[in-house]
Amino acid sequence: MLLTAVIIVLREVLEAALLISILAALSGALGIRRYWIGGALAAGLAGAIVIAGSLDTITAWLDGAGQEVLNAAMQALIYLLLGMFICLLILRGRARTQSGIGMKLIMTAAVGLATAREGSEILIYASGFVMNLPQLMSVLIGTSIGAGIGISAGALLYYLLVSLNDRWSRRVGAGLLVLVAAGLLSQATLLLTQADWLPAGLPLWDSSALIAERSVTGQLLYAMIGYEATPDAFQAASYFGGGILLLCAALIAVRYRRRAGDHP
Amino acid sequence: MKPRNLCLLRALLPVLGCLAAAPVLADRPVVRLDIRNHLFWPAEISVPANTRIRLEVTNHDPTPEEFESYELNREKVIMGNHPGILFIGPLAPGEYPFFGEFHPKSAQGRVIAR
Repeated sequence: MLLTAVIIVLREVLEAALLISILAALSGALGIRRYWIGGALAAGLAGAIVIAGSLDTITAWLDGAGQEVLNAAMQALIYLLLGMFICLLILRGRARTQSGIGMKLIMTAAVGLATAREGSEILIYASGFVMNLPQLMSVLIGTSIGAGIGISAGALLYYLLVSLNDRWSRRVGAGLLVLVAAGLLSQATLLLTQADWLPAGLPLWDSSALIAERSVTGQLLYAMIGYEATPDAFQAASYFGGGILLLCAALIAVRYRRRAGDHP
Repeated sequence: MKPRNLCLLRALLPVLGCLAAAPVLADRPVVRLDIRNHLFWPAEISVPANTRIRLEVTNHDPTPEEFESYELNREKVIMGNHPGILFIGPLAPGEYPFFGEFHPKSAQGRVIAR
């Protein structure tokens, strides 16, 4: 029971923690104060409680597709928010003087949504043991350990990013955000396939012999870049298409900034 | 139909799927699965290969469970005393294990596609 709790909580916490670390590190590089994280986590927790408390109703929406459609919508929204964030990050350039209120709002929304999604699943899992005191203890201990490992992994990434100079920390951070965002978009596609809102095909490839999804590496890669061992055409297309779209947006932003820089 | 038209149709499928999801649902073969005492009943389900299946999971336990399978690429929370619907496949012939993420030691099963 303890080990199960560790794994479940770690998987959920890791996804949110990595996103928070990247955005926190970028905030530092941009000279944005990190107070927004507290607000985002509080909003995310409130959202998690609402979702967990009404998941039976949500599940029944849209002929039983409610859970998938809500999750897919949240993930697609985070994808868009991260895309906007990357563009603003590039357009802002090296200036550290602006308040960055727009970026703060976007980061708050993205982290709030991610926390609500991952947090609701932890709450639902733990809610199953509330009436079962002996098991609840090991679930709570497992939850703490899982959350601890997830947060430590996030902290490690954060310190790796802030150890780079501002310029490189921004580049690496933005690059990681592209991967995270593409992963989220392909997860959203997968959920819509699960709900039969999108057609499904046979897997394009099977890399599970190379890196199994259930392995530690597989889980880390899943949390970080949305690794999937047996993706179908829609998933692969949304992953690579979504990533390329963000890169194009980033390139346009770079050109725009250069032109604005040349003719002030 | 010409192959080219078929390609076009395939490209349009997601759009059509979104517009007409409800009528499509009716055509899928239905497979039912129960969760009782953190076990799947039946623990082994046979489905036709290369076919999209509507899987109706009913959780008879008071506690929530999560239907999960790496091989099927599926993950869905089934609340206590509630049903949940998900679609699996088309699957190549073979075995696809699934488990209840919240009780992975007891809740184990597999889909056999043939």
